[in-house]
Amino acid sequence: MMLVPVTYKGGVYRHNEIMDLIDDVGGYIVQKHVIATDVVLLCFMPKDDVEVLRAAAKPLGAEVIDSPLVGTEIAVVSMSLEIHHLPHPSCDIAEYIRRLGGKTNMVSLARGPGKRIAALNDEERDVINEHDLAIYLLGNFANCIEKKMPVLRRGINVPIVLCGGPNKEELQRIIDPPLDGYVGNVGRFMHRTKESVELGKLDEIIAEITRVLEKKRIAIAKDPVSVSPARLMDVIKEKVPQILDVTSPTPLTVQMDGLRVKLPYDPFANEIHTLEIEDGIRIGDICELTPSRMRDYIMLKIRPFSETNVVV
Amino acid sequence: MHAVEYFEVECPEPLGGEYYKQIANDVLLDHNLLRVIHKLHIYVDPGVPIFVAVGVFHKITSLVRVRDFAAVNPLAGKIMLALASEMYLAPMLKIFLSRFGQDHVEQSDRFTVILRDVTVDPREVEEIVVADPSESVFKDLIYALKCIAPEGFRVRRELYSKEKGKFFFVASEDTLAADVDALVQAKFAKMGEEMP
Repeated sequence: MMLVPVTYKGGVYRHNEIMDLIDDVGGYIVQKHVIATDVVLLCFMPKDDVEVLRAAAKPLGAEVIDSPLVGTEIAVVSMSLEIHHLPHPSCDIAEYIRRLGGKTNMVSLARGPGKRIAALNDEERDVINEHDLAIYLLGNFANCIEKKMPVLRRGINVPIVLCGGPNKEELQRIIDPPLDGYVGNVGRFMHRTKESVELGKLDEIIAEITRVLEKKRIAIAKDPVSVSPARLMDVIKEKVPQILDVTSPTPLTVQMDGLRVKLPYDPFANEIHTLEIEDGIRIGDICELTPSRMRDYIMLKIRPFSETNVVV
Repeated sequence: MHAVEYFEVECPEPLGGEYYKQIANDVLLDHNLLRVIHKLHIYVDPGVPIFVAVGVFHKITSLVRVRDFAAVNPLAGKIMLALASEMYLAPMLKIFLSRFGQDHVEQSDRFTVILRDVTVDPREVEEIVVADPSESVFKDLIYALKCIAPEGFRVRRELYSKEKGKFFFVASEDTLAADVDALVQAKFAKMGEEMP
């Protein structure tokens, strides 16, 4: 069963029926937002049943949109937490990605600023590597980006999309070896993105992220993960009731090939390790559990079929 | 409002220079500084690396007096001040307390101050100078230039000549070169001005 990421946007009225429908056809709700009288459901649906959901949404005045970023966790890497980078452009970009279903985490570097003095420490590197993709938001000068990028990408093994002031061709020319994606003409700026040209640039960033994630998705599909991360999320939600007490907006953050469980590692790792998914297959048999570098969370990386010989 | 007569950003990377012009414009506008700046020349060279801002202020002559933000109403045995803005309330109260004494100054709410049993003419109260904006303008400007300069340029040198109304701000990631004054002088010359 092929699951596709979609977003349902509608009113509160009868939205429980929609949630039941998603559940009944074998879909998963990754995140639910209730904003006043509006409901936004970020979900995975079986490909053949998306039209069923659309048909059910129509009489309710709701809409169902394809959202390729649902079920991805993206690191927005900002060079610092200073006013130079926040709230514009870092927050503008992070918020725009969230609107389209991606889960973003802002990673601000302790020693990101400057050209000669820029550095990436091991904690920052590990935190970035826990994501599906990292967007690097750099400054306006090609000279500076060229010098500091080799340091900032050292040890990063997730795809990187680079945003910078120079145009895309210039960025491609100065970065060696090449990165996975580039968006030019988006460097440092000190005003809110509201002009149509700037919003177009944000769309360009989304398109580039989508392209890079699609490549990663194809690579994963060649050797598929042993269980869908969304299904794993459902299993944990059902069998570990403490997760329901976590106040984070996404207590279980779905990634493309894993899951971030926002419970402390020491008391819960063993319990999650031994949870049965189906037919005696336990989470520990097909996943690698590690303590996350982000707070005290648990990281689950699902091993591929080639390693486990199991698909549940 | 006075306009900026000269505003240039010089940079070896033309596109980077354009972005910095936009950044400088946004920051100065946000900090309400465009109206006090007469001339501004910014030079950024990420290759060195160095950031230089030189400029000339408009002459700031206006002082903030009580009448600028409060209505002074003489009543029987007291003077009532109805404030339009709280911005200068604290310095005004400080002046009143030291001049008239604590027993004669009363603040009944956020926007009302009453002076009781004072022998001063209400006109005189209106003319009391509460603040001098020219004192804080340099501090505000340095803060704004720190926002404009590339991040990480933490080695700084700045100078403000209140008499001549000129300033310069130099910042770098590395130790500043000994001949930085010559560079500043050259940038002032581009505006047709002399270094203070």
